[in-house]
Amino acid sequence: MSIEILDPTTPASPRPIEYSPRPGSLAGKRVALIENTKFNSDKLLQRIGQILKAEHGIAEWTMYRKHNASVPAHEEIIAAIKTSADVMVAGIGD
Amino acid sequence: MPGTLTSKRFKVDDMAAAVDFCFDRGWSDGLPVVPPTESAVGAMLDAVRLAPDAKLAYIRDRFVTVTAEKVAINAVMAGCKPEYMPVVVAAVEGIGDEGWSYHGPGTSTAGAAVLMIVNGPIARELDINAGDNLFGPGWRANLTIGRAVRLVMRNVCGSMPGLLDRGTVGHPGKLSYVIAENEAESPWTPLHVERGFRPEQSTVTVMAAEGPHQFYNQLSSTAEGVLITLADSMRISGNVMGQPHYCLVLAGEHMKTIAADGWDKKRIRQFVWEHTQNAHAHLKRTQRMAGAPEAGDESRMRPLVAAPDDILVVAAGGRAGAFSCFIPGWSSAKSSAAITKEIKR
Repeated sequence: MSIEILDPTTPASPRPIEYSPRPGSLAGKRVALIENTKFNSDKLLQRIGQILKAEHGIAEWTMYRKHNASVPAHEEIIAAIKTSADVMVAGIGD
Repeated sequence: MPGTLTSKRFKVDDMAAAVDFCFDRGWSDGLPVVPPTESAVGAMLDAVRLAPDAKLAYIRDRFVTVTAEKVAINAVMAGCKPEYMPVVVAAVEGIGDEGWSYHGPGTSTAGAAVLMIVNGPIARELDINAGDNLFGPGWRANLTIGRAVRLVMRNVCGSMPGLLDRGTVGHPGKLSYVIAENEAESPWTPLHVERGFRPEQSTVTVMAAEGPHQFYNQLSSTAEGVLITLADSMRISGNVMGQPHYCLVLAGEHMKTIAADGWDKKRIRQFVWEHTQNAHAHLKRTQRMAGAPEAGDESRMRPLVAAPDDILVVAAGGRAGAFSCFIPGWSSAKSSAAITKEIKR
């Protein structure tokens, strides 16, 4: 005799993500780098900042540090980046 | 059961086919599941008097609401009896608490499991093991309650091994990691009472945790002797640069030895916190802290957790054998707090 079983899953609800328009060039742009607090993430981002300056002509880069790696960037960082940067680089990973 | 089950339904030939169907759909943790039929799921919901659409948790980073219906389905699949359901519900509320911070321990490469410590009368009523073979096989409640929570994490919250759950090595506690405190024989204040509940309340405390690390002390007959061995074994463990919590699980012989010297949990915590600190120089020499040792680093100490109260102390484990264990938490300080929820019946 056949039986009927129930689906145990809940699909993640889709949500629209609106991307900011990408700049045509990085020349003269202010870049924010978001460091996730893990070992060597600051070194990696510093290197990225240096490359962006040397090879792409950005005006400056500034490093921001999250509270810890497992949470999104906090409000203060987001607010600061909105007013002081044109582009940001956020890394995810170990 | 008040309300209607709204989950999608699938027809299969028989129970054996249902088990294979669940494997094929990716709904299992790798072990056979109990097929979740409407009557079995209804019995789970009746046990907690919850409507199917009752919201038990919201996982912010996944935009997922965890409903009673989905928890009941996964509890059936895990092999729970309906009377276990209140514990599963409270544990799900725990991992959905903002302070537990689901996104970290639910996904991290550091491979945390959900250690669940049950206190209060329900632990004895449901025969949740607090004794021999504490973390091992043999007790349905211990193995199925934790399994249900992990199935919810997989099937509802998206913590799928290899995809969103990226534990590098993980550990067997990710199948189930449930213990009770041995309140009947413990000389100490139960964990839930220390955390603000009354003794007659039942609770579950969820802590993001590594596996248990056993230590030996078959020599000492003093509290300090046992705990100095514990501290020496524990000092280099987990993320020694700082964690939110540790849990000490003190079993029968050690529990009696420590209590015979008049030590309470507060004194145990203080002693272990003081004796598990590492010199900055050692952490630097062993490549756990960045930089070269500097003047003063030999005496500059770093504790494993910020404060003694971050160490949970639980009396549990078999009566025989001079063994106990410590359990490191997950990640770094303040990343995930242990949460205690009342088990409502």
